Amino acid sequence: MEQILKDFGIQPFLLAAQVVNFLILLLILKKFLYKPILRVLDERKSKIAQSLEEAAQIEKNLLKTEEDREKILNQAGIEAKQLIALASKSADEIISQAHQKAALDMQGILKKGEETIRLEKMRMQQEIREELGDLVVVSLQKIVGKVLNKKDQKEMINKSIKEM
Amino acid sequence: MEHTIILASEKIAQLGPIPLTNTLMVSLMVTFLLTIVSILATLKVKLVPSGLQNFLEVIIEVGYTQVEELAHLKAKVFFPWVMTFFLFIITANWLGLFPGFGTVGFWEHQDGKEVFVPLLRSINSDLNMTLSLALVSAITTHILAIKFLGLMGYLKRWFSLQMFPVFLFVGFLEVISEFTKVVSLSFRLFGNIFAGEVVLVTVATISKWTAFFVPLPFLFLEIIVGFVQAAVFMMLTLVFMVLLTEKGGH
Repeated sequence: MEQILKDFGIQPFLLAAQVVNFLILLLILKKFLYKPILRVLDERKSKIAQSLEEAAQIEKNLLKTEEDREKILNQAGIEAKQLIALASKSADEIISQAHQKAALDMQGILKKGEETIRLEKMRMQQEIREELGDLVVVSLQKIVGKVLNKKDQKEMINKSIKEM
Repeated sequence: MEHTIILASEKIAQLGPIPLTNTLMVSLMVTFLLTIVSILATLKVKLVPSGLQNFLEVIIEVGYTQVEELAHLKAKVFFPWVMTFFLFIITANWLGLFPGFGTVGFWEHQDGKEVFVPLLRSINSDLNMTLSLALVSAITTHILAIKFLGLMGYLKRWFSLQMFPVFLFVGFLEVISEFTKVVSLSFRLFGNIFAGEVVLVTVATISKWTAFFVPLPFLFLEIIVGFVQAAVFMMLTLVFMVLLTEKGGH
């Protein structure tokens, strides 16, 4: 055994030196190589996963937006139709109301006109009566003279006017 | 100018109690190289990678996926160990194929003989280096097993509660198999790389002219072997770690 070790040149100090050397190398590589590289690999992995997820999300959003757009357009179309229907309906109403109002106004005006005419007529009749009375009085005075007193005269005038 | 095949690595200097062999020096070089490369690569880590960062990311991602497939949740703990084994061994193996390795050196008098001492020698053609890697692998595996199973759960693996002689014997066998793991890990790597070095030297020194072009196919072979051995060491360590940290074996 000893001879074998000697033949191969095994020396405890050399062994120890190499072990120490290797351990130092291990620590150095761990700190300067494995850690940063593995970290960046991990980072990249998670970044890629995140990007893919985001892409999927974006696609989903896009689809949803498209759907929403379609929906909104449909809704707008329906609302526009409703609005038009409503508008034409209210227009009809306004027109018919205007018609009614016009008819009513016309009636009112006619009535007023009739009333005015009636009043005018009454006034004229009154005037005529008065004038006629005066005329009668004057002519009676001329004819009858001063036979009748004022009271009789009036009575007679009124009577004759009523008869007229 | 005879290159004799020497199993032991050659000493080029003495640093206090540590004999600085050529393999240990190259090992330090590999450590330095990997440190520089990793610092440069992660100086400015970008989410969109380029250049060195991209290159290392590919390697690390493949490694991590490999570890994750086998170790699942424990991957985070196992990964630095097995990946460092892989990176260290493959860098060492491939660096050892560069020109200058095994050829640049000096002659030294040893026991009255002229001996060639190469300044640079492929790390894993020295059993010291592979054995220390195997020891680190084994000891770490056991420490992780204790960490994941608890001391009682860990001991149960080796000493069955029933204490029937048969189970005791099985436990004994398992303890032995742990030692074989270390031996097989270290000698596999050492054998492959050392043999590669020997082949390259032998082919290059068959005659004056075989040093040109003839070693090329063997160099390519060694590139493959270097990768395969690094991968094997990594995968075996990973498998051992996964097996030992699993609950309830018997």
